[in-house]
Amino acid sequence: MNATLATQMFGADFLKLRKKRSTLIWALVLAIVPLVIFFAVNAVEHASNSSHEAAGGISAFHDGVRLLGGLFFGPLVAILIGVEAGTTDSSDGVFRDLVVTGRSRLALFATRVPAALALCWSIIIAAYALILIGTFVFASNLPTPSGSLIIEGLGFVLLATGVLCTVAVGFASLIDSKPGAIIALIAWQVIASPLISSISSLGSGRNFVLTQAIAHFGPAGTKDARGTEVVMSGGTALIVVLAWLAVFLALGAWRTRTMDA
Amino acid sequence: MPAEAPHTAAHTADDAPAIETSGLTKRFGERTALDGIDLKVPRGCAFGFLGPNGAGKTTIIRTLLGLTRASAGSMHLLGHPVPAERAQALQRVGAIVEEPRFHPFLTGRENLRLVAAVRGPEVRALIDPALARVGLSDRAEDRVKSYSMGMRQRLGVARCLLADPLLLILDEPTNGLDPGGIQEFREMIRAMVEQEGRTVFISSHLLDEVEKTCDAAAIVDRGKIITQGAIADLAAGGEVRHELILGVDDARLARSTLEQSELVLETVASEEGLRVVLSGGLETAAELNAALVRAGVGVMRIEPVRHSLEQRFLQITARLDASAAPEEVKV
Repeated sequence: MNATLATQMFGADFLKLRKKRSTLIWALVLAIVPLVIFFAVNAVEHASNSSHEAAGGISAFHDGVRLLGGLFFGPLVAILIGVEAGTTDSSDGVFRDLVVTGRSRLALFATRVPAALALCWSIIIAAYALILIGTFVFASNLPTPSGSLIIEGLGFVLLATGVLCTVAVGFASLIDSKPGAIIALIAWQVIASPLISSISSLGSGRNFVLTQAIAHFGPAGTKDARGTEVVMSGGTALIVVLAWLAVFLALGAWRTRTMDA
Repeated sequence: MPAEAPHTAAHTADDAPAIETSGLTKRFGERTALDGIDLKVPRGCAFGFLGPNGAGKTTIIRTLLGLTRASAGSMHLLGHPVPAERAQALQRVGAIVEEPRFHPFLTGRENLRLVAAVRGPEVRALIDPALARVGLSDRAEDRVKSYSMGMRQRLGVARCLLADPLLLILDEPTNGLDPGGIQEFREMIRAMVEQEGRTVFISSHLLDEVEKTCDAAAIVDRGKIITQGAIADLAAGGEVRHELILGVDDARLARSTLEQSELVLETVASEEGLRVVLSGGLETAAELNAALVRAGVGVMRIEPVRHSLEQRFLQITARLDASAAPEEVKV
Protein backbone atom coordinates (compact mmCIF):
# COMPACT_ATOMS: atom_id res chain seq x y z
CA MET A 1 0.00 0.00 0.00
CA ASN A 2 1.64 3.26 -1.12
CA ALA A 3 1.43 6.62 0.64
CA THR A 4 -1.20 8.03 -1.73
CA LEU A 5 -3.48 5.07 -1.21
CA ALA A 6 -2.92 5.14 2.54
CA THR A 7 -3.74 8.85 2.68
CA GLN A 8 -6.86 8.31 0.60
CA MET A 9 -8.03 5.42 2.79
CA PHE A 10 -7.35 7.47 5.91
CA GLY A 11 -9.39 10.32 4.41
CA ALA A 12 -12.26 7.95 3.70
CA ASP A 13 -12.30 6.60 7.24
CA PHE A 14 -12.07 10.11 8.67
CA LEU A 15 -14.99 11.17 6.47
CA LYS A 16 -17.12 8.33 7.87
CA LEU A 17 -16.36 9.33 11.43
CA ARG A 18 -16.80 13.06 11.15
CA LYS A 19 -20.07 12.65 9.27
CA LYS A 20 -21.55 10.39 11.93
CA ARG A 21 -23.40 13.22 13.61
CA SER A 22 -24.69 11.39 16.66
CA THR A 23 -21.24 10.21 17.70
CA LEU A 24 -19.65 13.55 16.91
CA ILE A 25 -22.23 15.53 18.88
CA TRP A 26 -21.98 13.24 21.91
CA ALA A 27 -18.19 13.41 21.80
CA LEU A 28 -18.26 17.21 21.65
CA VAL A 29 -20.82 17.40 24.45
CA LEU A 30 -18.78 15.09 26.68
CA ALA A 31 -15.55 16.95 25.99
CA ILE A 32 -16.80 20.53 26.19
CA VAL A 33 -19.87 20.72 28.42
CA PRO A 34 -18.28 19.43 31.69
CA LEU A 35 -15.49 21.96 31.29
CA VAL A 36 -17.90 24.79 30.61
CA ILE A 37 -19.92 23.81 33.69
CA PHE A 38 -16.74 23.48 35.75
CA PHE A 39 -15.49 26.97 34.90
CA ALA A 40 -18.95 28.57 34.95
CA VAL A 41 -19.86 27.23 38.39
CA ASN A 42 -16.51 28.22 39.87
CA ALA A 43 -16.72 31.66 38.28
CA VAL A 44 -20.21 32.23 39.67
CA GLU A 45 -19.17 31.04 43.13
CA HIS A 46 -16.12 33.31 43.05
CA ALA A 47 -18.23 36.26 41.92
CA SER A 48 -20.78 35.75 44.67
CA ASN A 49 -18.24 34.96 47.38
CA SER A 50 -14.81 36.57 47.15
CA SER A 51 -13.36 34.10 49.67
CA HIS A 52 -13.95 31.33 47.10
CA GLU A 53 -10.86 30.79 44.95
CA ALA A 54 -10.93 32.21 41.43
CA ALA A 55 -12.21 29.87 38.72
CA GLY A 56 -8.93 29.93 36.76
CA GLY A 57 -5.27 29.59 37.60
CA ILE A 58 -3.02 26.60 37.95
CA SER A 59 -5.31 24.64 40.24
CA ALA A 60 -8.18 24.89 37.77
CA PHE A 61 -5.78 23.88 35.01
CA HIS A 62 -4.87 20.70 36.88
CA ASP A 63 -8.52 19.91 37.57
CA GLY A 64 -9.37 20.47 33.93
CA VAL A 65 -6.56 18.23 32.71
CA ARG A 66 -7.61 15.51 35.15
CA LEU A 67 -11.20 15.83 33.98
CA LEU A 68 -10.17 15.56 30.34
CA GLY A 69 -7.31 13.11 30.48
CA GLY A 70 -7.46 11.02 33.56
CA LEU A 71 -10.95 10.42 34.75
CA PHE A 72 -14.06 10.24 32.72
CA PHE A 73 -14.87 12.66 29.96
CA GLY A 74 -11.79 12.52 27.74
CA PRO A 75 -11.64 8.71 27.92
CA LEU A 76 -15.35 8.55 27.16
CA VAL A 77 -14.81 10.61 24.03
CA ALA A 78 -11.97 8.27 23.07
CA ILE A 79 -14.14 5.19 23.65
CA LEU A 80 -17.07 6.55 21.62
CA ILE A 81 -14.92 7.45 18.65
CA GLY A 82 -12.74 4.33 18.84
CA VAL A 83 -15.74 2.03 18.97
CA GLU A 84 -17.39 3.89 16.10
CA ALA A 85 -14.25 3.48 14.00
CA GLY A 86 -14.00 -0.20 14.86
CA THR A 87 -17.58 -1.14 14.07
CA THR A 88 -19.15 1.34 11.65
CA ASP A 89 -18.33 -0.64 8.49
CA SER A 90 -19.74 -3.92 9.74
CA SER A 91 -22.71 -2.40 11.58
CA ASP A 92 -23.77 -0.59 8.39
CA GLY A 93 -23.16 -3.76 6.37
CA VAL A 94 -20.50 -2.10 4.24
CA PHE A 95 -17.49 -4.12 5.35
CA ARG A 96 -18.15 -6.86 2.79
CA ASP A 97 -18.25 -4.25 0.02
CA LEU A 98 -14.81 -3.06 1.07
CA VAL A 99 -13.54 -6.64 1.24
CA VAL A 100 -14.73 -7.42 -2.29
CA THR A 101 -12.52 -4.65 -3.64
CA GLY A 102 -9.67 -7.09 -3.03
CA ARG A 103 -7.93 -4.70 -0.64
CA SER A 104 -6.24 -6.45 2.27
CA ARG A 105 -8.37 -6.68 5.39
CA LEU A 106 -5.38 -5.68 7.47
CA ALA A 107 -5.11 -2.47 5.47
CA LEU A 108 -8.81 -1.82 6.08
CA PHE A 109 -8.25 -2.31 9.80
CA ALA A 110 -5.05 -0.30 9.91
CA THR A 111 -6.59 2.87 8.51
CA ARG A 112 -9.28 2.91 11.18
CA VAL A 113 -6.75 3.76 13.88
CA PRO A 114 -5.27 7.01 12.52
CA ALA A 115 -8.72 8.19 11.43
CA ALA A 116 -10.10 7.61 14.93
CA LEU A 117 -7.11 9.30 16.52
CA ALA A 118 -7.40 12.29 14.20
CA LEU A 119 -11.01 12.93 15.15
CA CYS A 120 -10.52 12.13 18.83
CA TRP A 121 -7.53 14.41 19.16
CA SER A 122 -9.27 17.22 17.24
CA ILE A 123 -11.98 17.24 19.87
CA ILE A 124 -9.58 16.81 22.77
CA ILE A 125 -7.40 19.67 21.54
CA ALA A 126 -10.48 21.90 21.29
CA ALA A 127 -11.40 20.96 24.86
CA TYR A 128 -7.84 21.53 26.00
CA ALA A 129 -7.94 24.99 24.44
CA LEU A 130 -11.07 25.63 26.47
CA ILE A 131 -9.19 24.62 29.64
CA LEU A 132 -6.43 27.09 28.79
CA ILE A 133 -8.91 29.87 28.08
CA GLY A 134 -10.68 29.26 31.40
CA THR A 135 -7.38 28.94 33.22
CA PHE A 136 -6.10 32.30 32.02
CA VAL A 137 -9.35 34.29 31.72
CA PHE A 138 -10.55 33.41 35.23
CA ALA A 139 -7.08 33.39 36.85
CA SER A 140 -7.57 36.70 38.66
CA ASN A 141 -4.45 37.01 40.82
CA LEU A 142 -3.71 33.25 40.91
CA PRO A 143 -0.57 31.83 39.28
CA THR A 144 -1.02 30.39 35.79
CA PRO A 145 0.66 27.31 34.24
CA SER A 146 4.03 27.69 32.56
CA GLY A 147 4.62 26.94 28.90
CA SER A 148 6.27 23.61 29.71
CA LEU A 149 3.38 22.58 31.96
CA ILE A 150 0.91 23.46 29.22
CA ILE A 151 2.83 21.28 26.78
CA GLU A 152 3.14 18.49 29.36
CA GLY A 153 -0.60 18.67 30.04
CA LEU A 154 -1.37 18.54 26.32
CA GLY A 155 0.93 15.57 25.87
CA PHE A 156 -0.77 13.79 28.74
CA VAL A 157 -4.35 14.26 27.50
CA LEU A 158 -3.33 13.22 24.00
CA LEU A 159 -1.57 10.13 25.36
CA ALA A 160 -4.42 9.19 27.68
CA THR A 161 -7.15 9.58 25.07
CA GLY A 162 -5.05 8.29 22.19
CA VAL A 163 -4.17 5.04 23.93
CA LEU A 164 -7.75 4.44 24.98
CA CYS A 165 -9.07 5.34 21.53
CA THR A 166 -6.68 2.85 19.91
CA VAL A 167 -7.59 0.14 22.41
CA ALA A 168 -11.26 0.87 21.69
CA VAL A 169 -10.72 0.45 17.93
CA GLY A 170 -9.08 -2.92 18.51
CA PHE A 171 -11.58 -4.13 21.09
CA ALA A 172 -14.62 -3.03 19.03
CA SER A 173 -13.20 -4.70 15.92
CA LEU A 174 -12.70 -7.83 17.99
CA ILE A 175 -16.20 -8.15 19.38
CA ASP A 176 -17.86 -6.47 16.38
CA SER A 177 -20.68 -5.01 18.45
CA LYS A 178 -21.03 -1.29 19.01
CA PRO A 179 -23.25 -1.38 22.12
CA GLY A 180 -21.31 -4.31 23.57
CA ALA A 181 -17.97 -2.58 23.10
CA ILE A 182 -19.17 0.75 24.52
CA ILE A 183 -20.71 -0.85 27.60
CA ALA A 184 -17.70 -3.09 28.26
CA LEU A 185 -15.14 -0.33 27.85
CA ILE A 186 -17.03 2.23 29.93
CA ALA A 187 -17.61 -0.35 32.63
CA TRP A 188 -13.92 -1.18 32.62
CA GLN A 189 -12.86 2.45 32.65
CA VAL A 190 -15.32 3.81 35.17
CA ILE A 191 -16.06 0.89 37.48
CA ALA A 192 -13.55 -1.94 37.18
CA SER A 193 -10.33 0.07 36.88
CA PRO A 194 -10.83 2.21 40.03
CA LEU A 195 -12.12 -0.85 41.90
CA ILE A 196 -9.12 -3.02 41.03
CA SER A 197 -6.76 -0.13 41.73
CA SER A 198 -8.22 0.28 45.22
CA ILE A 199 -7.61 -3.36 46.21
CA SER A 200 -4.16 -2.99 47.74
CA SER A 201 -3.85 -6.75 48.33
CA LEU A 202 -3.43 -7.16 44.56
CA GLY A 203 -0.03 -5.49 44.94
CA SER A 204 1.91 -5.04 41.70
CA GLY A 205 -0.85 -6.83 39.80
CA ARG A 206 -2.54 -3.43 39.73
CA ASN A 207 0.23 -2.22 37.43
CA PHE A 208 -1.66 -3.84 34.57
CA VAL A 209 -4.59 -1.45 34.96
CA LEU A 210 -4.25 0.83 31.95
CA THR A 211 -5.46 4.00 33.67
CA GLN A 212 -2.81 3.57 36.35
CA ALA A 213 -0.05 3.18 33.80
CA ILE A 214 -1.25 6.22 31.87
CA ALA A 215 -1.64 8.30 35.04
CA HIS A 216 2.06 7.81 35.63
CA PHE A 217 2.74 10.18 32.72
CA GLY A 218 0.42 12.94 33.97
CA PRO A 219 1.66 16.30 35.29
CA ALA A 220 2.26 16.12 39.04
CA GLY A 221 -0.80 18.16 40.00
CA THR A 222 -3.18 15.97 38.02
CA LYS A 223 -2.62 12.72 39.92
CA ASP A 224 -5.74 11.03 41.21
CA ALA A 225 -6.50 12.42 44.64
CA ARG A 226 -8.68 9.50 45.70
CA GLY A 227 -5.83 7.49 47.18
CA THR A 228 -6.08 4.78 44.57
CA GLU A 229 -2.89 5.65 42.73
CA VAL A 230 -0.54 2.73 42.07
CA VAL A 231 3.13 3.60 42.17
CA MET A 232 5.20 2.10 39.37
CA SER A 233 8.37 2.95 37.48
CA GLY A 234 8.30 4.82 34.17
CA GLY A 235 9.58 1.73 32.40
CA THR A 236 6.83 -0.45 33.81
CA ALA A 237 4.18 2.12 32.91
CA LEU A 238 5.48 2.32 29.35
CA ILE A 239 5.55 -1.47 28.97
CA VAL A 240 1.99 -1.76 30.29
CA VAL A 241 0.72 0.91 27.88
CA LEU A 242 2.51 -0.70 24.93
CA ALA A 243 1.24 -4.15 25.93
CA TRP A 244 -2.37 -2.92 25.96
CA LEU A 245 -1.91 -1.34 22.54
CA ALA A 246 -0.19 -4.41 21.07
CA VAL A 247 -2.69 -6.91 22.44
CA PHE A 248 -5.84 -5.07 21.34
CA LEU A 249 -4.46 -4.02 17.96
CA ALA A 250 -3.43 -7.63 17.32
CA LEU A 251 -6.79 -9.00 18.39
CA GLY A 252 -8.69 -6.45 16.32
CA ALA A 253 -6.54 -7.12 13.26
CA TRP A 254 -6.89 -10.88 13.68
CA ARG A 255 -10.66 -10.67 13.93
CA THR A 256 -10.92 -8.33 10.94
CA ARG A 257 -8.76 -10.67 8.88
CA THR A 258 -10.61 -13.87 9.75
CA MET A 259 -14.27 -12.91 10.25
CA ASP A 260 -16.98 -13.77 7.75
CA ALA A 261 -17.79 -10.47 6.07
CA MET B 1 -8.08 -1.36 -9.23
CA PRO B 2 -4.68 -1.60 -10.90
CA ALA B 3 -2.35 1.35 -10.92
CA GLU B 4 -2.67 1.87 -14.65
CA ALA B 5 -5.45 3.97 -16.15
CA PRO B 6 -8.88 2.36 -16.22
CA HIS B 7 -9.44 0.36 -19.38
CA THR B 8 -12.55 -1.00 -20.96
CA ALA B 9 -13.65 -4.60 -20.76
CA ALA B 10 -13.12 -5.09 -24.47
CA HIS B 11 -9.36 -4.56 -24.16
CA THR B 12 -8.71 -7.66 -22.07
CA ALA B 13 -7.73 -10.69 -24.09
CA ASP B 14 -7.69 -13.31 -21.37
CA ASP B 15 -9.87 -16.20 -22.44
CA ALA B 16 -10.17 -17.98 -19.13
CA PRO B 17 -13.77 -18.42 -17.97
CA ALA B 18 -15.10 -15.59 -15.84
CA ILE B 19 -15.85 -18.04 -13.04
CA GLU B 20 -14.67 -21.62 -12.74
CA THR B 21 -15.09 -23.82 -9.69
CA SER B 22 -14.24 -27.44 -9.12
CA GLY B 23 -15.56 -29.49 -6.24
CA LEU B 24 -16.32 -26.31 -4.30
CA THR B 25 -17.64 -27.23 -0.90
CA LYS B 26 -18.72 -25.14 2.06
CA ARG B 27 -19.80 -26.62 5.35
CA PHE B 28 -21.28 -24.84 8.35
CA GLY B 29 -20.71 -27.40 11.08
CA GLU B 30 -22.72 -30.47 10.15
CA ARG B 31 -24.63 -28.72 7.42
CA THR B 32 -23.25 -28.76 3.88
CA ALA B 33 -24.24 -25.54 2.13
CA LEU B 34 -22.25 -26.19 -1.06
CA ASP B 35 -21.63 -29.76 -2.08
CA GLY B 36 -18.89 -30.17 -4.69
CA ILE B 37 -19.95 -27.36 -7.02
CA ASP B 38 -18.49 -27.57 -10.55
CA LEU B 39 -19.41 -24.35 -12.30
CA LYS B 40 -18.10 -22.72 -15.44
CA VAL B 41 -19.28 -19.26 -16.45
CA PRO B 42 -18.04 -18.17 -19.88
CA ARG B 43 -17.02 -14.58 -20.52
CA GLY B 44 -19.21 -12.01 -22.19
CA CYS B 45 -22.59 -13.38 -21.22
CA ALA B 46 -25.29 -12.88 -18.61
CA PHE B 47 -25.31 -16.04 -16.53
CA GLY B 48 -28.16 -16.87 -14.20
CA PHE B 49 -27.63 -18.82 -11.01
CA LEU B 50 -31.05 -20.10 -10.31
CA GLY B 51 -32.40 -21.86 -7.29
CA PRO B 52 -35.02 -21.78 -4.57
CA ASN B 53 -34.41 -19.90 -1.32
CA GLY B 54 -31.79 -21.65 0.78
CA ALA B 55 -30.30 -23.51 -2.19
CA GLY B 56 -26.82 -22.04 -1.64
CA LYS B 57 -26.84 -19.14 -4.12
CA THR B 58 -25.59 -16.49 -1.74
CA THR B 59 -23.13 -18.89 -0.12
CA ILE B 60 -21.36 -19.54 -3.41
CA ILE B 61 -21.16 -15.81 -4.11
CA ARG B 62 -19.75 -15.14 -0.65
CA THR B 63 -17.25 -17.94 -1.10
CA LEU B 64 -16.15 -16.77 -4.53
CA LEU B 65 -15.57 -13.26 -3.22
CA GLY B 66 -13.60 -14.38 -0.19
CA LEU B 67 -16.21 -13.20 2.29
CA THR B 68 -16.21 -16.69 3.77
CA ARG B 69 -13.73 -19.53 3.36
CA ALA B 70 -14.36 -22.62 1.27
CA SER B 71 -14.15 -25.95 3.09
CA ALA B 72 -12.81 -27.77 0.00
CA GLY B 73 -12.42 -27.42 -3.75
CA SER B 74 -10.85 -24.84 -6.02
CA MET B 75 -12.10 -21.70 -7.73
CA HIS B 76 -10.86 -19.19 -10.28
CA LEU B 77 -12.14 -15.69 -10.98
CA LEU B 78 -11.14 -14.18 -14.34
CA GLY B 79 -8.40 -16.80 -14.56
CA HIS B 80 -6.91 -16.05 -11.13
CA PRO B 81 -6.95 -18.76 -8.46
CA VAL B 82 -8.85 -17.67 -5.38
CA PRO B 83 -7.89 -17.14 -2.60
CA ALA B 84 -4.21 -17.31 -3.70
CA GLU B 85 -4.56 -14.36 -6.10
CA ARG B 86 -7.70 -12.91 -4.65
CA ALA B 87 -6.54 -9.29 -4.79
CA GLN B 88 -5.71 -9.45 -8.51
CA ALA B 89 -8.91 -11.35 -9.26
CA LEU B 90 -11.13 -8.81 -7.52
CA GLN B 91 -9.55 -5.75 -9.13
CA ARG B 92 -11.92 -6.15 -12.07
CA VAL B 93 -14.88 -7.65 -10.24
CA GLY B 94 -17.88 -5.68 -9.02
CA ALA B 95 -20.34 -7.35 -6.69
CA ILE B 96 -23.55 -6.77 -4.82
CA VAL B 97 -23.98 -9.39 -2.13
CA GLU B 98 -27.50 -9.77 -0.77
CA GLU B 99 -29.01 -6.27 -0.64
CA PRO B 100 -26.73 -3.32 -1.37
CA ARG B 101 -25.75 -1.65 1.89
CA PHE B 102 -24.36 1.83 2.47
CA HIS B 103 -23.57 4.23 5.27
CA PRO B 104 -27.00 5.87 5.52
CA PHE B 105 -25.66 9.11 6.97
CA LEU B 106 -23.43 9.74 3.94
CA THR B 107 -24.53 10.93 0.50
CA GLY B 108 -24.51 8.64 -2.50
CA ARG B 109 -21.37 10.31 -3.81
CA GLU B 110 -19.61 10.05 -0.45
CA ASN B 111 -20.40 6.36 -0.25
CA LEU B 112 -18.81 5.87 -3.65
CA ARG B 113 -15.82 7.95 -2.55
CA LEU B 114 -15.18 5.49 0.28
CA VAL B 115 -14.97 2.55 -2.10
CA ALA B 116 -12.98 4.55 -4.66
CA ALA B 117 -10.47 5.39 -1.93
CA VAL B 118 -10.01 1.71 -1.15
CA ARG B 119 -9.76 0.65 -4.81
CA GLY B 120 -7.08 3.17 -5.77
CA PRO B 121 -6.29 6.82 -6.41
CA GLU B 122 -7.33 6.79 -10.07
CA VAL B 123 -10.78 5.37 -9.38
CA ARG B 124 -12.20 8.66 -8.09
CA ALA B 125 -12.48 9.82 -11.69
CA LEU B 126 -15.01 7.02 -12.32
CA ILE B 127 -17.51 8.24 -9.71
CA ASP B 128 -19.32 10.78 -11.89
CA PRO B 129 -19.61 8.50 -14.93
CA ALA B 130 -20.86 5.67 -12.69
CA LEU B 131 -23.51 7.89 -11.11
CA ALA B 132 -24.58 9.12 -14.54
CA ARG B 133 -24.72 5.57 -15.88
CA VAL B 134 -27.25 4.51 -13.26
CA GLY B 135 -29.20 7.78 -13.44
CA LEU B 136 -28.34 9.04 -9.97
CA SER B 137 -26.40 12.21 -10.79
CA ASP B 138 -29.26 14.40 -9.60
CA ARG B 139 -29.51 12.66 -6.23
CA ALA B 140 -25.79 12.13 -5.64
CA GLU B 141 -25.62 14.78 -2.92
CA ASP B 142 -28.59 13.39 -0.96
CA ARG B 143 -28.04 11.14 2.02
CA VAL B 144 -28.55 7.48 1.25
CA LYS B 145 -31.08 7.14 4.06
CA SER B 146 -33.49 9.11 1.86
CA TYR B 147 -33.03 6.71 -1.09
CA SER B 148 -35.67 4.21 -2.18
CA MET B 149 -34.78 0.53 -2.52
CA GLY B 150 -34.55 0.95 -6.28
CA MET B 151 -32.15 3.86 -5.91
CA ARG B 152 -30.00 1.83 -3.53
CA GLN B 153 -29.88 -0.98 -6.07
CA ARG B 154 -28.74 1.47 -8.70
CA LEU B 155 -26.17 2.98 -6.36
CA GLY B 156 -24.97 -0.57 -5.72
CA VAL B 157 -24.43 -1.03 -9.44
CA ALA B 158 -22.61 2.32 -9.58
CA ARG B 159 -20.34 1.06 -6.82
CA CYS B 160 -19.65 -2.05 -8.91
CA LEU B 161 -18.81 0.10 -11.91
CA LEU B 162 -15.97 1.73 -9.99
CA ALA B 163 -14.05 -1.49 -10.63
CA ASP B 164 -14.59 -1.07 -14.39
CA PRO B 165 -15.62 -4.69 -13.99
CA LEU B 166 -15.00 -7.52 -16.39
CA LEU B 167 -17.27 -9.53 -14.12
CA LEU B 168 -20.31 -8.30 -12.21
CA ILE B 169 -21.76 -10.55 -9.54
CA LEU B 170 -25.27 -9.56 -8.54
CA ASP B 171 -27.19 -11.33 -5.82
CA GLU B 172 -30.97 -11.11 -6.30
CA PRO B 173 -30.56 -7.73 -8.04
CA THR B 174 -34.22 -7.06 -8.76
CA ASN B 175 -35.40 -7.50 -5.17
CA GLY B 176 -37.48 -4.50 -4.19
CA LEU B 177 -37.69 -3.04 -7.68
CA ASP B 178 -41.00 -2.07 -9.24
CA PRO B 179 -41.83 -3.40 -12.74
CA GLY B 180 -40.42 -0.28 -14.40
CA GLY B 181 -37.25 -0.59 -12.38
CA ILE B 182 -36.92 -4.25 -13.28
CA GLN B 183 -37.26 -3.43 -16.96
CA GLU B 184 -34.62 -0.68 -16.70
CA PHE B 185 -32.34 -2.99 -14.79
CA ARG B 186 -32.71 -5.72 -17.38
CA GLU B 187 -31.85 -3.30 -20.17
CA MET B 188 -28.80 -2.11 -18.28
CA ILE B 189 -27.55 -5.68 -17.79
CA ARG B 190 -28.06 -6.53 -21.45
CA ALA B 191 -26.21 -3.35 -22.48
CA MET B 192 -23.30 -4.26 -20.23
CA VAL B 193 -23.08 -7.66 -21.84
CA GLU B 194 -23.79 -6.83 -25.46
CA GLN B 195 -22.21 -3.38 -25.81
CA GLU B 196 -19.40 -3.51 -23.28
CA GLY B 197 -18.50 -7.20 -23.30
CA ARG B 198 -18.79 -7.61 -19.55
CA THR B 199 -19.83 -10.83 -17.88
CA VAL B 200 -22.76 -10.60 -15.48
CA PHE B 201 -23.45 -13.37 -12.98
CA ILE B 202 -26.95 -13.03 -11.51
CA SER B 203 -28.23 -15.15 -8.68
CA SER B 204 -31.98 -15.25 -8.49
CA HIS B 205 -34.96 -17.30 -7.49
CA LEU B 206 -37.03 -15.49 -10.13
CA LEU B 207 -37.14 -17.83 -13.12
CA ASP B 208 -38.81 -15.34 -15.38
CA GLU B 209 -36.15 -12.77 -14.64
CA VAL B 210 -33.29 -15.13 -15.44
CA GLU B 211 -35.00 -16.33 -18.58
CA LYS B 212 -35.47 -12.78 -19.86
CA THR B 213 -32.07 -11.45 -18.86
CA CYS B 214 -29.58 -14.29 -19.15
CA ASP B 215 -27.97 -16.22 -21.97
CA ALA B 216 -27.09 -19.23 -19.85
CA ALA B 217 -27.86 -20.48 -16.39
CA ALA B 218 -27.15 -23.07 -13.76
CA ILE B 219 -29.85 -24.51 -11.55
CA VAL B 220 -28.79 -25.12 -8.00
CA ASP B 221 -30.66 -26.89 -5.24
CA ARG B 222 -29.55 -28.05 -1.80
CA GLY B 223 -25.98 -26.99 -2.47
CA LYS B 224 -25.58 -28.87 -5.73
CA ILE B 225 -25.59 -27.81 -9.35
CA ILE B 226 -28.44 -29.74 -10.89
CA THR B 227 -27.89 -28.64 -14.44
CA GLN B 228 -26.26 -25.84 -16.41
CA GLY B 229 -26.23 -24.64 -19.99
CA ALA B 230 -27.79 -22.20 -22.44
CA ILE B 231 -31.25 -21.01 -21.40
CA ALA B 232 -32.94 -22.51 -24.46
CA ASP B 233 -31.27 -25.89 -23.91
CA LEU B 234 -32.16 -25.89 -20.22
CA ALA B 235 -35.77 -25.06 -20.96
CA ALA B 236 -35.98 -27.78 -23.59
CA GLY B 237 -34.46 -30.29 -21.23
CA GLY B 238 -31.24 -30.47 -23.22
CA GLU B 239 -32.81 -31.92 -26.32
CA VAL B 240 -33.23 -29.63 -29.28
CA ARG B 241 -36.94 -30.31 -29.78
CA HIS B 242 -39.09 -28.09 -31.89
CA GLU B 243 -42.77 -28.13 -31.18
CA LEU B 244 -45.83 -26.52 -32.74
CA ILE B 245 -49.32 -25.84 -31.54
CA LEU B 246 -51.85 -26.29 -34.35
CA GLY B 247 -55.36 -24.91 -34.44
CA VAL B 248 -57.40 -27.04 -36.89
CA ASP B 249 -61.05 -27.55 -37.81
CA ASP B 250 -60.87 -31.37 -37.68
CA ALA B 251 -58.56 -32.59 -34.96
CA ARG B 252 -59.13 -36.30 -35.62
CA LEU B 253 -58.27 -36.04 -39.34
CA ALA B 254 -55.35 -33.78 -38.61
CA ARG B 255 -53.96 -36.18 -36.04
CA SER B 256 -54.16 -39.20 -38.33
CA THR B 257 -52.48 -37.18 -41.09
CA LEU B 258 -49.71 -36.01 -38.81
CA GLU B 259 -49.05 -39.46 -37.41
CA GLN B 260 -48.34 -40.72 -40.93
CA SER B 261 -45.90 -37.90 -41.65
CA GLU B 262 -42.13 -38.37 -41.31
CA LEU B 263 -41.91 -34.75 -40.22
CA VAL B 264 -43.64 -35.54 -36.95
CA LEU B 265 -42.36 -37.47 -33.95
CA GLU B 266 -45.38 -37.15 -31.71
CA THR B 267 -48.83 -35.57 -31.65
CA VAL B 268 -50.73 -34.84 -28.47
CA ALA B 269 -54.10 -33.19 -28.04
CA SER B 270 -54.01 -30.33 -25.55
CA GLU B 271 -56.27 -27.48 -24.42
CA GLU B 272 -54.43 -25.10 -26.73
CA GLY B 273 -54.79 -27.35 -29.76
CA LEU B 274 -52.72 -30.15 -31.25
CA ARG B 275 -49.22 -30.17 -29.81
CA VAL B 276 -46.83 -31.53 -32.45
CA VAL B 277 -43.23 -32.53 -31.85
CA LEU B 278 -41.26 -32.13 -35.07
CA SER B 279 -38.53 -34.48 -36.20
CA GLY B 280 -36.73 -31.57 -37.90
CA GLY B 281 -36.51 -27.82 -37.48
CA LEU B 282 -39.25 -25.21 -37.44
CA GLU B 283 -38.74 -24.64 -41.17
CA THR B 284 -40.66 -27.89 -41.78
CA ALA B 285 -43.84 -26.22 -40.47
CA ALA B 286 -44.74 -24.96 -43.95
CA GLU B 287 -44.40 -28.43 -45.42
CA LEU B 288 -46.53 -29.84 -42.63
CA ASN B 289 -49.16 -27.17 -43.24
CA ALA B 290 -49.28 -28.09 -46.93
CA ALA B 291 -49.72 -31.78 -46.05
CA LEU B 292 -52.64 -30.96 -43.76
CA VAL B 293 -54.30 -28.76 -46.38
CA ARG B 294 -53.88 -31.48 -49.00
CA ALA B 295 -55.60 -33.90 -46.61
CA GLY B 296 -58.54 -31.48 -46.31
CA VAL B 297 -57.77 -30.10 -42.86
CA GLY B 298 -58.44 -26.40 -42.30
CA VAL B 299 -55.49 -24.88 -40.45
CA MET B 300 -56.37 -21.75 -38.46
CA ARG B 301 -53.21 -21.39 -36.43
CA ILE B 302 -49.60 -22.59 -36.39
CA GLU B 303 -47.59 -21.42 -33.41
CA PRO B 304 -44.12 -22.51 -32.32
CA VAL B 305 -43.95 -23.61 -28.68
CA ARG B 306 -41.62 -21.59 -26.50
CA HIS B 307 -40.18 -23.82 -23.79
CA SER B 308 -40.38 -22.26 -20.39
CA LEU B 309 -37.49 -22.40 -17.99
CA GLU B 310 -40.02 -22.30 -15.21
CA GLN B 311 -41.59 -25.55 -16.38
CA ARG B 312 -38.19 -27.16 -16.56
CA PHE B 313 -37.17 -25.83 -13.16
CA LEU B 314 -40.33 -27.06 -11.51
CA GLN B 315 -39.89 -30.40 -13.26
CA ILE B 316 -36.38 -30.77 -11.87
CA THR B 317 -37.11 -29.62 -8.34
CA ALA B 318 -40.24 -31.77 -8.19
CA ARG B 319 -38.15 -34.78 -9.22
CA LEU B 320 -35.64 -33.91 -6.52
CA ASP B 321 -38.34 -33.50 -3.92
CA ALA B 322 -39.61 -36.95 -4.82
CA SER B 323 -36.20 -38.55 -4.48
CA ALA B 324 -35.18 -36.27 -1.55
CA ALA B 325 -31.57 -36.60 -2.62
CA PRO B 326 -30.41 -34.39 -5.45
CA GLU B 327 -28.48 -36.06 -8.21
CA GLU B 328 -27.08 -34.65 -11.40
CA VAL B 329 -29.91 -34.31 -13.89
CA LYS B 330 -28.96 -34.93 -17.45
CA VAL B 331 -30.09 -32.13 -19.73
